[in-house]
Amino acid sequence: MSWQTYVDEHLMCDIDGQHLTAAAILGQDGSVWAQSAAFPQFKPDEIAAIVKDFDEPGSLAPTGLFLGGTKYMVIQGEPGAVIRGKKGAGGVCVKKTNQALVLGVYEEPMTPGQCNMVVERLGDYLYEQGL
Amino acid sequence: MEAVVVDYGSKLLKAGIASPDQDPPYIIPTKMKRVLEEGEEAGGDGTGNDEEVMVDTVVRGFVSDWDAMEDLLHHVLYTNIGWEIGDEGQILFTEPLFTPKYLREQLVQLMFETFNVSGFYASEQAVLSLYAVGRISGCTIDIGHGKIDVAPVCEGAVHHIASKRFETGGVDLTNLLAQELQKSNPSVNIDISDVEKFKELYAKCASDQIEFEKMQNSYLPEQHTLPDGQVITIGKERYIVGEALFQPQILGLEEYGIVEQLVSSVSNVASEYHRQLLENTMLCGGTAAMTGFEKRFQSEANVSASAIRPALVKPPEYMPENLARNSAWMGGAILAKVVFPQNQHVTKGEYDETGPAIVHKKCF
Repeated sequence: MSWQTYVDEHLMCDIDGQHLTAAAILGQDGSVWAQSAAFPQFKPDEIAAIVKDFDEPGSLAPTGLFLGGTKYMVIQGEPGAVIRGKKGAGGVCVKKTNQALVLGVYEEPMTPGQCNMVVERLGDYLYEQGL
Repeated sequence: MEAVVVDYGSKLLKAGIASPDQDPPYIIPTKMKRVLEEGEEAGGDGTGNDEEVMVDTVVRGFVSDWDAMEDLLHHVLYTNIGWEIGDEGQILFTEPLFTPKYLREQLVQLMFETFNVSGFYASEQAVLSLYAVGRISGCTIDIGHGKIDVAPVCEGAVHHIASKRFETGGVDLTNLLAQELQKSNPSVNIDISDVEKFKELYAKCASDQIEFEKMQNSYLPEQHTLPDGQVITIGKERYIVGEALFQPQILGLEEYGIVEQLVSSVSNVASEYHRQLLENTMLCGGTAAMTGFEKRFQSEANVSASAIRPALVKPPEYMPENLARNSAWMGGAILAKVVFPQNQHVTKGEYDETGPAIVHKKCF
């Protein structure tokens, strides 16, 4: 299965009639393995900051999480595994696997809980596959 | 069926059907007595009744004795609130800051497996207290029986990095008062539960540090009769309880006073939020309802080192008095009206599919 299919069918899937605004699977060096059409243009240092926060939890909170220039406020995640960011009624969820980062961006009316379920479920699956 | 909201604290458990602009219907102490069965030994102190052991179900905000908690919840849910076995509804719990993951999972597991609830949600007390006053952003200072939480909240999400938790609370203030009373009344034997009552009746906050010093030297003693007939005098001791929150050295702690803690906590948040946080400060918790505390807090805040002056939030008029004591429960009632109809809670089906870890994904 290609990475693009993972994004299109698993991350951008319908959950209770809603779906993520955008999703992507990136390598931890910032390379794009696959992304959805609406995924924001991000900068390499934004990804580097995210990876750094996985290694040193709490480094991203004072400044905020940036993705494609949009600033998200860092909220409770799981240190070393999940980073969650919030912006108004929407937000982002980033799950780290062995070699990749699974990202999901959601907006109203989708809830943070639903975004987490989708992103973390795929992340756990990839983790088990060794990716 | 209406959802039930439960706010368990180190001293009192507040529970009831979610009704946002009212006090919680049931307020029960969480200290329980366990009647020992045949063959069991009593606890090590040897002074109490040999047949009963006092159990602290909730210590420092976290559940420590799960069997006692189960019995307590059983009593509250089935006897007081009137749930029927087989027809349990939805429940919302409040949690203190920094609740460890395994405790949350254990609670979810208890609710779904033992009580068979149909829906579950958990939220932090800081956020709920702000909902009770109609805010989604602000800073809460929750001074409870077992702990003090200082938490900046932005748009409904607690900023965990900036939050602080202190393992001091009403129970330590009671011990302090007991020590002081013992010093001024050496011949009288005072029981700790009586001291607890005194604290609630007589403890006051001096209006500033200078007045506290004055009180130390010249005080007006009041006589009080204990239930067993002994008479004790209370004078300057009553002020020491409130002062300890502003000068923790009195309790033997090397920490700053509560206002400085608030300011330093907020300074760890991105600067664009500072104004919103400091100008929407909320005091909640049983100990914060002490006479004179709010005034003292405001006056200390006015002279504090921060550029923006912390300002206390005014509760809406339709909310009952004593909002500070029960704000977490009331905020929970407000949230319950939103979360459950919109299916943002953990349902039995989801629990069966994913297990207790689902609480981390869905509830925050």
